[in-house]
Amino acid sequence: MTSSRGGKEERSLVRMVGIEKSFGKVQALKGLDFEVRPSEVVGLVGDNGAGKSTLIKVLSGYHLADKGEIYFEEKKVSITSSLDARKLGIETVYQEQALAPNMSISRNIFMGREPAKSLGFMDKKSMDRRSMEALESMGLHLRSADALIAMLSGGERQGVAIARVLHFKAKLVILDEPTIALSVKEAQQVLEFIKQLGKEGISVIFITHNLYHVFPSADRFVVLARGEKIADVEKKDTSVDELVELIIKPPSHN
Amino acid sequence: MLKKFFSYRVASTLLVFIGLILIFAFFTPHHLFLDPRNVKALGKLIPDLGIVTLGIGMLMICGEFDLSVGAVLPLCSYVFVLLARAGMNLVLSLFIAMGVGALLGLLNGLITVKGRIPSFIATLGTMMFWRGVLYVHSRMWPIGIRAYFPAGSSFEHVLRGEIGGIIPAQVIWFVVFGLILGIVLHFHKFGNWVYATGDNKEAARAMGINTDRVKVICFMIVGILCAFVGVMQLLRIETFACTQGLGFELKAIAGSVVGGTFLMGGIGSIAGIFLGALTIQILENGLILMRVPVFGISAFIGLAIILFVVLNTYVARRMIR
Repeated sequence: MTSSRGGKEERSLVRMVGIEKSFGKVQALKGLDFEVRPSEVVGLVGDNGAGKSTLIKVLSGYHLADKGEIYFEEKKVSITSSLDARKLGIETVYQEQALAPNMSISRNIFMGREPAKSLGFMDKKSMDRRSMEALESMGLHLRSADALIAMLSGGERQGVAIARVLHFKAKLVILDEPTIALSVKEAQQVLEFIKQLGKEGISVIFITHNLYHVFPSADRFVVLARGEKIADVEKKDTSVDELVELIIKPPSHN
Repeated sequence: MLKKFFSYRVASTLLVFIGLILIFAFFTPHHLFLDPRNVKALGKLIPDLGIVTLGIGMLMICGEFDLSVGAVLPLCSYVFVLLARAGMNLVLSLFIAMGVGALLGLLNGLITVKGRIPSFIATLGTMMFWRGVLYVHSRMWPIGIRAYFPAGSSFEHVLRGEIGGIIPAQVIWFVVFGLILGIVLHFHKFGNWVYATGDNKEAARAMGINTDRVKVICFMIVGILCAFVGVMQLLRIETFACTQGLGFELKAIAGSVVGGTFLMGGIGSIAGIFLGALTIQILENGLILMRVPVFGISAFIGLAIILFVVLNTYVARRMIR
């Protein structure tokens, strides 16, 4: 079912080949191939336990694959920690909210890579200013970079998480269920943020259960089932109904 | 205006602290609470638990506990006394004792993060273990220090003297450690990692913070502070006693909590912890002066802690709305 693509300029940003990963006796990924091109939004879909989260956790350095290779900008890389991934420009916005609720917006945005003046003392002014700039560039107008995350709405929180990856000039952003647990309006706001990422030339992997959310935002869809890729289609070649069908009744393999 | 004031999480601790001082100033017999002798005595006593509480508070912000302080403290004091008795330079002995404190903290930290067990259990174990080792090795005999080094050395002045005959050195050390830890926690990158680790460990890890290392360092800071206090206290009472620091583990947690530190980590400030440590000790002192039977005091302190945390939680909840 893998669609063939013949374009010459279609160099991949990231290419994962033959990825295998097991947890005990459960084989979560069975030799999976996956690719993202520059400034492309890929919808990664599939039912629970299909292997979506495991795949992106391998890519973001959270899990180590048992087998397989990863190429970033056509160079073979080894991603053994989230730091490795971030050095390459792969940023992840995790499902479990990558924010600390009782810390301020700017402290969250710069968490783990605080700009320092000397001896490791934080440059708070620059943190606040740059945070506000990153939020403004996404059209998110918040009062102060000192506000605690706990005081923001769900959509605003996702906005802060995405502003963080925008600020650090990521090349590939992985969004794991960014619209889960959000109201309709907030989800719309987040989808706008994702479009904004695409415009900035950043590639996006968008993982979701909600095909109606992912469909208008993504350029291409990859469907997983039981740790295998069962479809890889451009948006123009498919429809929501077809994708739903694939997820619900994955074609059994011979 | 009022809302802004309460948005600083130390605000309620500060109010309770000032309230207590006023109450005791008025209601202790002959206003004994404000008597210079009482104030000076407090200045010498409070920093012992106070300095330990600073470390415990920081550790609690990163999401861990240390119950072993009541064992680490006398053990380090014992190490110091043994070295001094053997004729070693006192300053060097102090640094070695602090090194031992750091090592014991490192051990607590490694057991917690590598063993993946709650620090409550890990340090409960090390508390009992080290106390047992100390009791057996010292045979629980007190050791007077005057036989080994004379009074009035500059070393002693620095740790237990008085500035201008008024301000006890202990107060200065309490403030100095408060400032150092406050600056680290609130203005240094490391402080941001401490908060992140306690507030959302998964997020901190995903952002590349080595949360295990952050925790281990916090444990080591507690160990170092315990060693320092052990020696400072030893010089004040001029005798090593293996009961030094007994009960500090829970009082330090109580002080941090009264100072607005959240039990689950992620919330707290050094200013609050500093005030919290003052508050519970002033409460104890004031009650004694008001002739509350000594054995009944813990009932009041227990009640005060609960009331205070209920108040704090209420204020915090109102703030987020």
